[in-house]
Amino acid sequence: MNKNITVIPRHGSSLKDKLYLPAIYDGVKVTFKHFFKNVSDINAVDTLEYPEEQPTDITERYRGLHRLTHRPDDSIACVACFMCSTACPSDCIFIEATEREDGHDEKMPKSFFIDTLECIFCGYCVEACPCDAIRMDTGIFSLTGSSREDFIMDKEQLLSHKGAFGEENSCARD
Amino acid sequence: MSEMVEVIVDDQTFHAEKGSLLIDLLIKEKVKVPYFCYHEALGADGNCRMCMVEIEGQKRPQIACDTFIKEGMEVRSKGENIEKVRTNILELELINHPVDCPTCDQAGECSLQNFYMDYGLHDTKITIPEKEKGLKKVDLGSNVILDQERCVLCARCTRFTDKITGTHELGIIGRGDHAKVSTMPGKKLDNPYAMNVVDLCPVGALTSKDFRFSQRVWFLKTVESVCHGCAKGCNIYIDHNKIKYQDDVIYRYRPRRNDEVNGFFICDEGRLSYKGLQENRQHEIVLDNEVISEDEAIEALKDLVKKYKSNITVIIDANLYTEDIEAILNFSKEIEANVCAPLDIYRDEDFKDDMLKSAQRAANYKTIENLSLETKIPEKCELLINFNHPGKFEAERSIDFRTHQDPDAAFILPLASYVESSGHITNEEGITQHCQKALSKNDPLPTVIEWLEKVSV
Repeated sequence: MNKNITVIPRHGSSLKDKLYLPAIYDGVKVTFKHFFKNVSDINAVDTLEYPEEQPTDITERYRGLHRLTHRPDDSIACVACFMCSTACPSDCIFIEATEREDGHDEKMPKSFFIDTLECIFCGYCVEACPCDAIRMDTGIFSLTGSSREDFIMDKEQLLSHKGAFGEENSCARD
Repeated sequence: MSEMVEVIVDDQTFHAEKGSLLIDLLIKEKVKVPYFCYHEALGADGNCRMCMVEIEGQKRPQIACDTFIKEGMEVRSKGENIEKVRTNILELELINHPVDCPTCDQAGECSLQNFYMDYGLHDTKITIPEKEKGLKKVDLGSNVILDQERCVLCARCTRFTDKITGTHELGIIGRGDHAKVSTMPGKKLDNPYAMNVVDLCPVGALTSKDFRFSQRVWFLKTVESVCHGCAKGCNIYIDHNKIKYQDDVIYRYRPRRNDEVNGFFICDEGRLSYKGLQENRQHEIVLDNEVISEDEAIEALKDLVKKYKSNITVIIDANLYTEDIEAILNFSKEIEANVCAPLDIYRDEDFKDDMLKSAQRAANYKTIENLSLETKIPEKCELLINFNHPGKFEAERSIDFRTHQDPDAAFILPLASYVESSGHITNEEGITQHCQKALSKNDPLPTVIEWLEKVSV
């Protein structure tokens, strides 16, 4: 016989195990302990009455819905370098670049779409961005819509999202 | 032919012609050596100093592009010493570089980026405000845009206008940090080969206005093909991409080196010819202003062929692939039709020059000549089947296979263009070359061969 094989004896052959009742009693004891504890103090229940009650533990590192940041003078920070769409593993960022006329750099996105249904919220786009132009710090974790098109975020929508943790503008150099 | 001598490069022995340039040997043997200013078509200039190698017996490192090969030369292209030299020279090149790779169209195919990854990886000692500023967008004319900040002053572009086109539009003005590429005041870059400076520029200083911001180069897929602009048959790369949920589209043509045909360059007209190829395409089968299905079209075509059995003329475009022409000839034999390929319409003496442009503006006219096809159409023809020939012909009834829209055609069948299929063409010098299929469209149109297979069953 192969010495790598260990034979483990089967449990549950004693009378106590065969009766089942002691085990059922043990389980019910736990259930009733929590039941009486919760009934006596309803606020101790570890449940959120969502959506009336909103979560409070969304931290700065939480990857929520994307946003496009602004520069201090309120112009768009994105220069349409396509680093985010290059890094994107689900190919859900669609950018069209155009000439920039407002005096910053040369290039800006003419259109910028993120298909949030395809997005896996990995945050690679944020990592890849050399201009701190795309962030996932909106704290928005829930997105609703009535059609597929509602989930495709365009440039204006992404620019209108606000940062939830104080840092509003792009931190990259102007 | 001069004497062949032995040269040792990094402990490997190579044979080279005595007196030839060392850098040519290094490029030929694929020894890694960085360079900006040297180009096989433009010769050595020796200004960028990047191609430094160590030569046994010489005190200091030498530039490979201006060193002539001697008997028993011992060259080292690797090692700590030489890499340190290259790093330092690269740091000098990068002093005033704006490092705006995110907005630069050259990013991804930029020599500066590549050499930085190979030899640089240093931290800059210069801050952005300390850098010399220049104009970011100068329209030089002929679809070329200059960014003075990104320039490394390799002078490839100025040497191109001096040595290749002989038009002398570009020059370097100013000294030291203030040296800049520029045209003469009030003058523009204006020659039919001007856009080649975009390919020549090793960095993002000269970029194409046509390609500007349209795609990042790492998304593009490249196939090898041949330009169909004239009978010269210049070799090109077709860069295309299919964006998710969209159709496959060509973004640019680039010249492909072929010393027997076009050398390193192509003309601007050929380079921009991809645009006309993608506009006004015919997609539907139309019979007397009504869109019909493929089966109906095949029926109608067969009926017409049966009806006019005795007097059918087939006209062949001299831009079609040789394979397509052969298929048409077989089909014509089957239906007992006259075949002709009028060539006069392609002749354009104004287009011709003494560099690459040919007066015959049909890519495969040599094959038509080799097959000695009739070039005059018969005076009286009842049914005319036209395979994409651009001419207009009188006939009682005509069937037109067209890649592009033709408002005069009564019965029009769409055809795949040359980038949507593959085949061979023979240029005016008799060199037969293969064109790869570039585009895979979402709704592919039938090629000539596919149409004829359907019709003859």
